[in-house]
Amino acid sequence: MYTAPLQALIDELGRLPGVGPKSAQRMAFHLLKVAPEDALRLTEAITAVKERTTLCPVCFNVAEGDLCDMCADTRRDPSLVCVVEDPRDIVAVEKTQEFRGCYHVLHGALNPIEGIGPDQLRVRELLTRLDGDAITEVILCTNPNLEGEATAMYLARLLRPLGVRITRIASGLPVGGDLEYADELTLGRALEGRRDVEA
Amino acid sequence: MAVTALWLTDFRCFTEAVFEPDPAGLTVLRGPNGSGKTSILEAVGWLVTMRSFRGAPREALVRTGADRAILRAEVDAAGRRVQLEAEIPLTGPVRAQLNRQVVRRRADLAEAVRMTVFSPDDLQLVQGGPSARRDFLDEALVNRHPRNEALVTDLDRVLRQRTALLRQAGGRLTPEVEATLDVWDSRLVRTGEQLAEAREELVTSLAPLVNEAYERLAGVSEPVGLGYRRSWEGDLAGAVVRARPDDLRRQVTGVGPHRDELEITIGPRPSRTHASQGEQRSLALGLRLAAHGLACQAAPEPPVLLLDDVFSELDPARSEALVELLPPGQVLLTTATAPPPAVSPDRVVEVASGRLLGTGGRP
Ligand SMILES: [Zn+2]
Repeated sequence: MYTAPLQALIDELGRLPGVGPKSAQRMAFHLLKVAPEDALRLTEAITAVKERTTLCPVCFNVAEGDLCDMCADTRRDPSLVCVVEDPRDIVAVEKTQEFRGCYHVLHGALNPIEGIGPDQLRVRELLTRLDGDAITEVILCTNPNLEGEATAMYLARLLRPLGVRITRIASGLPVGGDLEYADELTLGRALEGRRDVEA
Repeated sequence: MAVTALWLTDFRCFTEAVFEPDPAGLTVLRGPNGSGKTSILEAVGWLVTMRSFRGAPREALVRTGADRAILRAEVDAAGRRVQLEAEIPLTGPVRAQLNRQVVRRRADLAEAVRMTVFSPDDLQLVQGGPSARRDFLDEALVNRHPRNEALVTDLDRVLRQRTALLRQAGGRLTPEVEATLDVWDSRLVRTGEQLAEAREELVTSLAPLVNEAYERLAGVSEPVGLGYRRSWEGDLAGAVVRARPDDLRRQVTGVGPHRDELEITIGPRPSRTHASQGEQRSLALGLRLAAHGLACQAAPEPPVLLLDDVFSELDPARSEALVELLPPGQVLLTTATAPPPAVSPDRVVEVASGRLLGTGGRP
C-alpha cells in the first residue's frame, strides 16, 4: 500500500509503547512533511541517547558520562537513599521538590512470571552501598501495586539486620482532591497509612 | 442504569449495526439460533467487563475478514451520560475507554456501569465444579462493591507469581527461593484471608434471598442451605507454612480461597448430585436473582439486566415467577421463540443474520 521506506517507518513507530497503528500512520505522514532539518534532529536525538547514555555506577540512574546528576550534586544528602523501580520514578519524586537525598534504581520489581528475582534487580549493589557509605535511612519508594509491595517487603526484611532506618512511602490521597471523590481503594490505603497529627 | 444505544462494527456476524433498546423497560431481541442476538448482549457485557460472558476468545469476537472489532455504547447512569468504547484487534493490545479516558482498572468500569447477566450456562453454578461457584461469588462481590475487584485480581496474581516461583525452584528450597517465597506467602495470606472473609459475609447475605427466590421458582418451601467451606483450618499463615513442602514438590499452591467450595443443599440433599434438573435450574436462577438483588441494594439504581435465552428451558409457571421476581430496571432479553405470556416487552427487535430490524434498529 505504501512505499517500502514509509511502511518501515510506520512499523517502527508502531512498536513504540502506547502507539497504535493509526497514530503510527499519522506520525509517519507528519515526518514525511516536516523540513529535513527537523527530521534530522529527531534521528540525531535517538542516536545520541543510545550512544551517550549510560547507567550511573553508584545509583544506576541514567547518566551521561560518569555519575548521574543526582549523585554528582554535592548539595544532596548522601545519608538518605530513596529506592525506586525505574529512572522515571526519580523524575516523579524530584517534581515534588520534597526530597534532597540520593536514589537507588532497582530496574524493576520482583516478578517471577517475568523471571525477575532479586538477582535480576540491583539489590546486591544496594547492599554494597549500605555496607560502605554512611547511609542512615532507606526509603522504599516502589510502586503501590502487588509486585512493588512484594519488593518493598523483601527489601525491608533483607535490610533490617543492617541497622538502618527503613521507611515506606504512604500511598495516600491525591492532594487537592475531595475525599468524596477518592476511590475506595485509595481512601482505604490512606486510612491504613494514617499518622498521628502533630499538635 | 440503562444502555441507551450500542454501535457494533465488525463484531461477530455484524458488519455495522446500531441497537437502541428501551431506556427504562424490557427489550426483547428475537431471532433464530445463530442470528446474532446473543452477540448483542455479549457486546454490552464486553464493554462493561472487558470479557465475553460466553467465555469466547478474542478471535471469535472479530468478524471473519476484519482485523478488529469496535464497540461503542452510551449508558444513562443516574441521569449522567456514560460513554464506553472498545477496540478489539485480532492481535495487539485491546483498547477500552470510559468517557474518552483509557481504562486502567476494570473496577472503574464496574463502578461506572453495573450489570447482571443470566445465561443458560448458569446451570453450571449447580452442576459444575467448585470453580464455577467461586467465580459466581467473586463476580457478586465486585457487583456489590467495585473495590473488591482489586482483591480478586490480586489473589489471582499472587497465585500466578507464586506458581512461577515454585516452578523456577524446581523443588529445591535454597535461601534465595525461601526469602522471596516468604514475601509471596505473606501477600497470599493477607489477600487470601480478606477474600475468604468477604466471600463468607457475602454468602450470609445471599442465603435469605436465595431461599426466597427458590421458593417462588420451585413452588415448594424446601430450605436451601449455603455453606462456605475453606480449604484450610485455623489461620491461613499456619496452613501455608504446613503446605509448603507439598507446594514445593507439586509446584502449585495447595491452600487458599482458590481451593474453597460453596456447598449448596436443598433440604438435606447436596444439590449438585441429588437434585432434579428442574430443581437445579430453579436454584441457579435463584442464585443469580439473589446476587442481582444484593447489587440492587448496594447501587443507587438497579443494574442493567441481561437475560440470554433463559426462558427456553422454563415451564410457564417458572417463567412467570421469574418475571415477577425481576426487580425494576432495564432488561435486555434474547429468545428464539415467542417470549412467554408473562413477558410484556416495551420494544421488540428482530435479529436476522447480522441485521437488526424492527423498532430498535435503524435502516
Ligand atoms: Zn547516580
